[in-house]
Amino acid sequence: MLALRRREKIAVEALYDMYSASLFGVISRIINDTAVAEDVLQDTFVKIWNSFASYSTEKGRLFTWMVNIARNLAIDKIRSKDFKNQNKNQELENNVTFIDEQRNTVYKPELLGIKELVETLKPEQKSILDLVYFKGYTHVEAADELGVPLGTIKTRLRMAIVQLRKHFN
Amino acid sequence: MEEVKAYIESGILELYVLGDVTPQERAEVEAMASKHPAIKAELDEIEKSLELYAEANAVEPSEGQRDRILNSLLTNFADDRNFPSIEVKKVDNVVPFDRPKQSNFYKYAFAASLALLLVSIAALISVYRDLQQSNTLVASLQTQSQHFTNRVNFMDHELSIFRDPSFKMLKLKGTPKSPASVLMVAWSPVKRKVMIDMGNASMPANDQAHQYQLWALVGGKPVDLGVFDADTTSKEMKEMKSTALADAFAVTLEPRGGSSSPTMSEMVVVGKF
Repeated sequence: MLALRRREKIAVEALYDMYSASLFGVISRIINDTAVAEDVLQDTFVKIWNSFASYSTEKGRLFTWMVNIARNLAIDKIRSKDFKNQNKNQELENNVTFIDEQRNTVYKPELLGIKELVETLKPEQKSILDLVYFKGYTHVEAADELGVPLGTIKTRLRMAIVQLRKHFN
Repeated sequence: MEEVKAYIESGILELYVLGDVTPQERAEVEAMASKHPAIKAELDEIEKSLELYAEANAVEPSEGQRDRILNSLLTNFADDRNFPSIEVKKVDNVVPFDRPKQSNFYKYAFAASLALLLVSIAALISVYRDLQQSNTLVASLQTQSQHFTNRVNFMDHELSIFRDPSFKMLKLKGTPKSPASVLMVAWSPVKRKVMIDMGNASMPANDQAHQYQLWALVGGKPVDLGVFDADTTSKEMKEMKSTALADAFAVTLEPRGGSSSPTMSEMVVVGKF
C-alpha cells in the first residue's frame, strides 16, 4: 500500500497480478468484445493509478473501490456512441460466438468450490446478483428487467450475499 | 441495537458496496458505519464476500495485456515526473502570434497586387495610344518617303533626258494667233522619243471641249504625236507618241481626243530645225 502511494513499479505489478483477473471478469461480462474489454481494463488501471490518492482505507476495501471504477468505465463504454455503432455491425454475425465465449468464462472449472457455490445460490438470487454485480444494472433497472418490486430486489440481493458469506466462511 | 439491525436488514449496505446508492445515501451509510462498529463489520463482510465472488468468476486477460497495461502506466508515470507541461504553453503562445501576422501579410499583398494591376492597366492604355500614334506617323512618313522616291526617280528620268546627247531641244514659238505661247520639245531620233516639257511651257488654257494636239511635219505631211492639256499645275516631262523623222513640230487646238489632220487656222506654236 505504501509502495502504491509512492507510485513504485513493483506496486503496480503486484496490483495487476492480484486483481486483474477479478476485474477483467467483471468487465468482460459487461463488454462481450474481448479487445474492447481489454482496453477498458487498461483504462481502469490508468484511472486507479492516477486517482489512487483519493482512496482511503476507512471507506472500505481496496477491491471494492477498484471494482466500482472498472464497472463504471465498462458501462460508460457500452453506452458511448461509437461502441453502440460497432456493436450493431457485429451483432448478427457474432452472436453465437459471444454466447459461447460467455459460457466458457462464467465458471472456471479449475477453481474449487464453484459447483457448490452454484448450488448454494437460488436461481433468482443468482440472476439478481449477476445483473447488478456483473452487468452493471442499478437495482431499479434490475427490478424493471426481472419484473419484480424494488423491495423484493433488495431482499433477494441481500439474501444472495448472505448465502455467499455462508459459503465462503 | 434494534435500529442497527433494521438498517442492516434493509439491504442498503449491499447497494452501497455495489456503488448503487445516491450521494445522500452514501453519506448516510458512511455516517452510520463510523457510529456503529457493527455496521462497519457488516460492510466489511459484504465486501469480502463480493470480492471472493468476483475472484471465483475471474477471467484471465490475455498474455500480452500485462506488459501493455504496465507499460502504459509506467509511461504515464515517467511523463508526469520528467516532463512538466511547459511545452504545451509554448505552442499556445506561438499560434495566436502567428495568425494575425500572416493574415495581415496576405491582406497587404492583395491590396498591393490590386494597385499594381490598376497602374499596369493605365500604363498599358497610355502605351497603346502612343503606339497607335507612332503607327500613324510611320504610315504617313512611308507615304511621304514613297512620294519623294517617286519624285527623285522622276527627276532622275528628266535629268537623263537633258544629259542625253541624242536629244535635241527645240523651242516652239507662238504664231500670230497666240504670240505669247511657248513650248519646249525634246526629241531623240535615235531613241524615237518625243517629250514635251510642261514645266517650261506657256500656253493659253484649253476648255473642256478642246485639247492641244502635237504634230510632226515629215516631208511636208503632218504626223499625229498625241494630245495634251495645257495644265498650269503640271511640271512634268510628258512623253508623246514616237517618231524617227521630223522636220518641224507644231501644236494646234483640236476638238477633245484629237483630229486626223491638223486644223491649220488653230495652230498655236510652231518650230523648225
